[in-house]
Amino acid sequence: MKIKTKFFARGVHIPDKKSLSSGCPIRELPAPETVAIALSQHIGKPARPVVTVGDVVEHGTLIAEADGAVSANVFASVSGKVIAIENRPLPRGGTTDCVVIESDGKDSETTLPPLGEITPENIVARIREAGIVGMGGAGFPTAVKMSPKTPVDTLIINGAECEPYLTCDHRLMIEKTDELVDGAKLLAKALGVERIIFAVELNKPDAIAKLDVCEGVLVAELRKRYPMGSEKHLIYSCTGRRVPPGKLPADVGVIVENVATAFAVYEAVRLNKPLCDRVMTVSGEGVNEPANLRVRLGTSYRYLLDACGGETDDAFAYIAGGPMMGATLLSTDFHTRKTDSGLLVLTARQASISAPTACIHCGRCAEVCPMHLLPMDIDFYTLAGDYDGARDRGGALNCIECGTCAYVCPANRALVQSIQMCKQKLRERR
Amino acid sequence: MKYLVSDSPHIRGKRTTRGIMLDVLIALLPATVVGCVYFGGAAVASIAISVAAAVASEVVFRLIKREKIQDILRGFDFTSVVTGLLLALTLPSQAPWYVPMLSSVFAIVVVKMLFGGTGKNLVNPAITGRVFAFIAFQSVMVSGWIAPSMIAISPVAVSGASGSVSTGATQLTSILGGTGLTVSNLDLFLGTGVAGCIGETCKLALLIGGVYLVVRRVIKWEYPVIYIVVTGLVASAIGKDIGLFVPSILSGGLFLGAIFMATDYVTSPHTRAANWIYMALLGVVTAALRAATKIEVVSFAILLMNLLVPLFNAYIRPRTFGAPSFVGQMKAKLAAAREKRAQNPDKEDAQ
Repeated sequence: MKIKTKFFARGVHIPDKKSLSSGCPIRELPAPETVAIALSQHIGKPARPVVTVGDVVEHGTLIAEADGAVSANVFASVSGKVIAIENRPLPRGGTTDCVVIESDGKDSETTLPPLGEITPENIVARIREAGIVGMGGAGFPTAVKMSPKTPVDTLIINGAECEPYLTCDHRLMIEKTDELVDGAKLLAKALGVERIIFAVELNKPDAIAKLDVCEGVLVAELRKRYPMGSEKHLIYSCTGRRVPPGKLPADVGVIVENVATAFAVYEAVRLNKPLCDRVMTVSGEGVNEPANLRVRLGTSYRYLLDACGGETDDAFAYIAGGPMMGATLLSTDFHTRKTDSGLLVLTARQASISAPTACIHCGRCAEVCPMHLLPMDIDFYTLAGDYDGARDRGGALNCIECGTCAYVCPANRALVQSIQMCKQKLRERR
Repeated sequence: MKYLVSDSPHIRGKRTTRGIMLDVLIALLPATVVGCVYFGGAAVASIAISVAAAVASEVVFRLIKREKIQDILRGFDFTSVVTGLLLALTLPSQAPWYVPMLSSVFAIVVVKMLFGGTGKNLVNPAITGRVFAFIAFQSVMVSGWIAPSMIAISPVAVSGASGSVSTGATQLTSILGGTGLTVSNLDLFLGTGVAGCIGETCKLALLIGGVYLVVRRVIKWEYPVIYIVVTGLVASAIGKDIGLFVPSILSGGLFLGAIFMATDYVTSPHTRAANWIYMALLGVVTAALRAATKIEVVSFAILLMNLLVPLFNAYIRPRTFGAPSFVGQMKAKLAAAREKRAQNPDKEDAQ
């Protein structure tokens, strides 16, 4: 059943380029020869390894366990031998310890023990056990989210997928509709809520049609607008509730989970499978055969690109994630993590390379800012070193870093980076 | 293998500063062409001198700052061309060659470059250049208005304008001086036989440019409309005659100022709501100053209001998404106070 939605007034329309890969069915990618599984694939403390070099593991063996409440278990995604536990760089900077496993080619699989009775407590325990985190990009451990401090009455499954190019959630919604709905119902049961809303942008009519006929869930058709998938704007669009600055969705009675997360929950509860693979979009004008792939965690980006026919000759920019909020890569020697929804290769035509010029105070950034901030003021005060001014006059701390302001900026200013720097400086001072 | 490393977002909109400035130039084209037709070779020369002086002074200034010539060329954003053209359009056609030249140099060097170049100026360079000319070359600027030599096209209008030679006061000056209307509204709208600056007489051409800017989303339609309408209303109120509405908005430099100068990004407030207030205040100031001084003051009004823009930016800020409104805040405070009061007796009981 469809529900009425609200429109938020800001944001921007971006050519979505989803047709490159939206027609490609999810393809199971064979296990690579080696995988490097990061111990930090989530927000919070990195997991603590429970294997040592030389150990033999199976596909689905726990290799690192959650270290504290805000952390997540990590599982082997191939069967074989641990050949190293070493420090490796991350796409966004920084490093993490990785468990490197050499595949024995057998891919023998092990699963979690059967769950028994499906009760809310058991579901939450299973989500924690299976190492499930928010797979939309944030990577917040889902089990923590499942025990909100305030009463909630609505679960929103985020299928907006407002980043251009990405289609992995779209494909999941079409191909695994029943599984997704089941996963969403399990999440709802764990939370004790009745109302489940699937939030989908209008540019995915096939997904809306498939979800619309499912029992027990509501579908919100959202106008195509970036950043529709932002939690706060999604909640407003679906329920009309506004999350106040500095508050959590649970404070207005809503929990938001990504489509991929709901699917992982289904697999963990019904099939006893821990989280050791995910669906990823490999796309962009610089890729020969864009595709949606079911990828083992820890697979190298190089392997993914080779599976998609490699790059074109004019490949120019490699991006982990979407083009609006993702990170450009220095090399393809990185490995898939739980939060990776896409790997893009853009050509020089698409990628932005022009240098910033002086701000002309046109006000476009403020006009499109979905959080109603003043990016030009944050930029100005931050570059002048006045971080208090940036916070008080521009509202830097409320920024969701969606990049809409920088997208429309005619002077090409690095607004998001100014805001990130301001937040960092304010954090350091505290 | 070459890898591009850039800041997010990695795709950008197509708008650039240069593109916006080119749009403004295109929008100014009708007014420029009509001005050249109405006022002849003198206008062409004036515009050419002004634009050349503006561009040259920017380039020379940056060369003195030891910037590389390639950087200047690559970073050239056409703002100085817009300034030079706008400035020329606000000057009388028969002004001697040094007036547009010196005003242009003043506008670019003093008003723009000394404050840090594009985007850093406090006041609009073209407006300030005109004010500079007005004060420095008073004899030319105040007495020298001529009606265009349009006799072949509309002899009636010209003979009706003043009956004799066309040097002297503009139509606006006669309205403000209480002489009454001497030109029909249609002539004011088309600029036929009306004395004035090169670019300000034909409102139709300015309007076409304004519509272009709105369609290209360079400016918001409400901004010039608010300015013009408020000016007309206040002028009518001061004169206690609603009949003054149309002639007062159609005469003088109001259209040129409202469409092209008051909407200048750098010297207008950041947010939409602030701009509405800004434009309305601009209308009030313009009409009031016109009535008080009996001369055309659009440029002075805009210059004055430009100086207040930092105040608008400091005090009119949007409410963050999700933050409670003023009423909501008050309600929350009241509720908290009530709760406190409700809890206090309990505490006393407990003690």
